[in-house]
Amino acid sequence: MTEMFSTLFGQSDAQGPPGSGALGFGSGKPPPPLPQSQVSLSGQLPPQIGDEGPMLRKPGASNEPFYLLRDLPVGNELTGNSNLITHYNLEHAYNKFCGKKVKEKLSNFLPELPGMIDCPGTQDGSSLRSLIDKPPVCGNSFSPLTGALLTGFRLHTGPLPEQYRLMHIQPPKKKSKHKHKHHRLQDPLPQETPSDSDPKKKKKKRDDDPDRKKKKKDKKKKKNRHSPDHPGLTGSQPNSSSLR
Amino acid sequence: MAEKFDNLEEHLEKFIENIRQLGIIVSDFQPSSQAGLNQKLNFMISGLQDIEKCRLQLNEINVPLEVFEYIDQGRNPQLYTKECLERALARNEQVKGKIDTMTKFKSLLISELSKVFPEDMAKYKAMRAEDPPS
Repeated sequence: MTEMFSTLFGQSDAQGPPGSGALGFGSGKPPPPLPQSQVSLSGQLPPQIGDEGPMLRKPGASNEPFYLLRDLPVGNELTGNSNLITHYNLEHAYNKFCGKKVKEKLSNFLPELPGMIDCPGTQDGSSLRSLIDKPPVCGNSFSPLTGALLTGFRLHTGPLPEQYRLMHIQPPKKKSKHKHKHHRLQDPLPQETPSDSDPKKKKKKRDDDPDRKKKKKDKKKKKNRHSPDHPGLTGSQPNSSSLR
Repeated sequence: MAEKFDNLEEHLEKFIENIRQLGIIVSDFQPSSQAGLNQKLNFMISGLQDIEKCRLQLNEINVPLEVFEYIDQGRNPQLYTKECLERALARNEQVKGKIDTMTKFKSLLISELSKVFPEDMAKYKAMRAEDPPS
């Protein structure tokens, strides 16, 4: 092992005795100091080079006291030293996503989407990943179905078998900007939807209605007015001190 | 750009609503519903045509693949954005800490070396002052 170390670092150690590996280092001697003439040269700028112009410094070997002195890297204005969120004007986005609590479920992001969307896509084969791994056939044009093709869609009457029924079909909870109340078609068989839709629609209305918030505030004010601690009470309320 | 998304969103909403109604018709089919069913099927095809037209306007939009993983797990994709921003900020802070530490180390090293090797350090500083970063 000492031989390996000496070959790596101790070229000048060939002068020293080979048996002096007691310390575990090559020769045990420090490398010989530079000759005095070389030191003085390294300390002074040679006049010839100085007359020619600015000193050229080779990036690799150098005759100066500083060996392997490289040029400083190009300074980049944008580093991690500055707040990159502010630099790229993402403060609003940061406050929006990180300031408030973002709900976990996909249905909170897409409340209008019917069906059970919170389940993993791999369960029912509706994952987006499968769309990337096995892309569908594209390029064909979409043409309406003719009478002959529509004969394939003649169905038997009656309800679907249990295994094919879609459970928990949620109607879309429309928060549409353009209120087309008459545009929406009425459901032909409102079997599943009314029971599911009404409480959810009510719930949705509760969340979205700004008037409801105002009403809540008014209610609170009224409650406070009627509370025994309210300073504005007259003798209409029974005196609390009289209660035993 | 928002208009392109609004247009696509509208088409998708109509398409999904059409499919939902199709599902309701099919769940308990009656012979009188056949005409409605045929109409819905053709609406579905026209809906796909409209969505196909929207595709051309959105060619330059890139979506990170990690978002798809969130959606496939039934999670809100806004969580991805949130986590990206948090990771970016954490990394920014980490790098800033490294830069600050390195800067302090540099100044400390120069001051200590100047005490031990004053002449050499004076030359070094002169050299660095002569040659600004290229």
